[in-house]
Amino acid sequence: MGALRDYFAAIGRTIVTLGDGLAVTFSYLLRKPCTIQYPDRTPEPVVSMLPERSRGFLEADVEVCTGCKLCESACPIDCIHVEIAKDESGQRMIQRFEIDLSKCMFCGLCVEACPAGGLRHSHEFEGGMGDVRHLYVSFLDEPVPPAKKGKTVEPKPLGSIIRARLARPFDPYRGDRPASGARAPLSRGGEP
Amino acid sequence: MSETSPTSADRARDAILLNMGPQHPSTHGVLRFVLHTDGEIMHRAVPEVGYLHRGLEKLAEQQTWAAYMPFTDRINYMESMFCNQAWAMAVERLAGIEVPERAEFLRVIACELNRIANHHITLGCMSMDVGAFTPFTYLLRERETINDLMEALCGNRLTYNYMRIGGVAHDVDRAWIAALEKFLDHFEPICDELDSLISYNEILVKRFIEVGVICQADAVAWGLVGPNLRASGVSWDLRRDQPYSVYPRFDFDVPTAAGARGIEGDCFRRWLVRAEEMRQSCRILRQAIAALPEGEIRAKVPRKLKPPAGEVYACVEGARGELGVYAVSDGSDRPYRAKWRSSSFSALSIIEHISPGLMIADLVAVVASLDTIAPEMDR
Ligand code: SF4
Ligand code: SF4
Repeated sequence: MGALRDYFAAIGRTIVTLGDGLAVTFSYLLRKPCTIQYPDRTPEPVVSMLPERSRGFLEADVEVCTGCKLCESACPIDCIHVEIAKDESGQRMIQRFEIDLSKCMFCGLCVEACPAGGLRHSHEFEGGMGDVRHLYVSFLDEPVPPAKKGKTVEPKPLGSIIRARLARPFDPYRGDRPASGARAPLSRGGEP
Repeated sequence: MSETSPTSADRARDAILLNMGPQHPSTHGVLRFVLHTDGEIMHRAVPEVGYLHRGLEKLAEQQTWAAYMPFTDRINYMESMFCNQAWAMAVERLAGIEVPERAEFLRVIACELNRIANHHITLGCMSMDVGAFTPFTYLLRERETINDLMEALCGNRLTYNYMRIGGVAHDVDRAWIAALEKFLDHFEPICDELDSLISYNEILVKRFIEVGVICQADAVAWGLVGPNLRASGVSWDLRRDQPYSVYPRFDFDVPTAAGARGIEGDCFRRWLVRAEEMRQSCRILRQAIAALPEGEIRAKVPRKLKPPAGEVYACVEGARGELGVYAVSDGSDRPYRAKWRSSSFSALSIIEHISPGLMIADLVAVVASLDTIAPEMDR
């Protein structure tokens, strides 16, 4: 008898607790939906909804960069490459400023290390590319002189630098690209 | 003897070897079980780990003390904050750095938020693994708010990299505190809602009750920690019993779910302990917000940190229990050795012990209730 009573009591409890659960689910029918239909039906672009500290793709402003290379040494996985060399007239120039965004883990240590504010996280995060090597970004078109102390530069809108760069993929092999699958050779001090 | 090939005893009783995983969707990461079975009931389930080994301990030896912080995020992506804190505490003890009070409070706030977020996933996955999908989506919605808070606090939603040697990276402002309070106001009733939605649902209770029972002695002997240990009836919480940071200043309970339905150490008690822990975390958060002192958030730490030679073990009460790191310094700017003690590893190791006589379908419930996570086991 006891076993039978337990059996039916369990069925009874199941019905009651199921009702409790369904009451909760049903109440959501009457509450405001909280789903965001990313990417095409958001009230405004997601990039502009992100909080200020959000760590997206890095962007470097070479007009502000003093060429101190602190960011390069702060990066734990060596994905920043800054090269300073003298040109023919003996002037110190930033020859290369490249970041492998496909390798970057968005930790922010490089940004913290930069004393000049030349490096920052944008809020951009949509970087789907046909080839992962196109996430290897150069922030220079030609060598530029490092910024002098005290030089003031109008800050560029957040994300504008990296958006322009990603739209125009940089070719780390400068035309002479090895077979697919090979990565950009990012060794310190070496030429690609 | 290889655990993954049939033994003579297996052959004698007609047992076959069945692979579960390494990609089974309900095994929480890439994890493989070798089941010795002759039907629904298992003779033995042998966990095989190592699929997510990334050499994170070895990587420490190549980084400076401070630059290892983002790697600790990846030890266990569900509880990055605790990994951050364990590492920061280890280095601070080695180097004798005093952390400002405000930073300690911010660490507590961030960690407790992380604990709630972790339990959302744990409970959500537990219910999903036994077939209840709705609670998972509800809990994910709550977790989303925490992710937003975390993003506003430290810039990232999962791999926070929030703590630094000697403090934290960012301060909070009034708006953030207000957002946190709003979340707490919203979330505390949700805890009760969760109870009526699923915790006391008879189908779930019947599924979990008296399944995967781990008795007190076994739990201690196999080194279970955190909610798994507490569900077995051992009231042990590092926050209370081995105080660190500013936890002694807060008033909170350590739930063991004693007296609830089910028996000590079964899957249902493990569920209840976690559900109650979320409430306790809310209590700590409220107290921490009220008592948040003004001041510095980061101690002065030399740019090239070189802790004196020595060794230290620092542990925190993570969302899965004791999470510790043993760090050795040889006086240089890089760790000589870092060794992590992770709760998932000990939780997984007990499975072989409790598996005889378990149904294959129950194994899924047990793995979910032990809240093991593959990256943390393999590191
Ligand atoms: S965000 Fe971190 S990983 Fe990325 S470039 Fe900066 S330091 Fe390196
Ligand atoms: S970006 Fe900043 S840290 Fe890097 S080289 Fe330029 S000034 Fe130095």
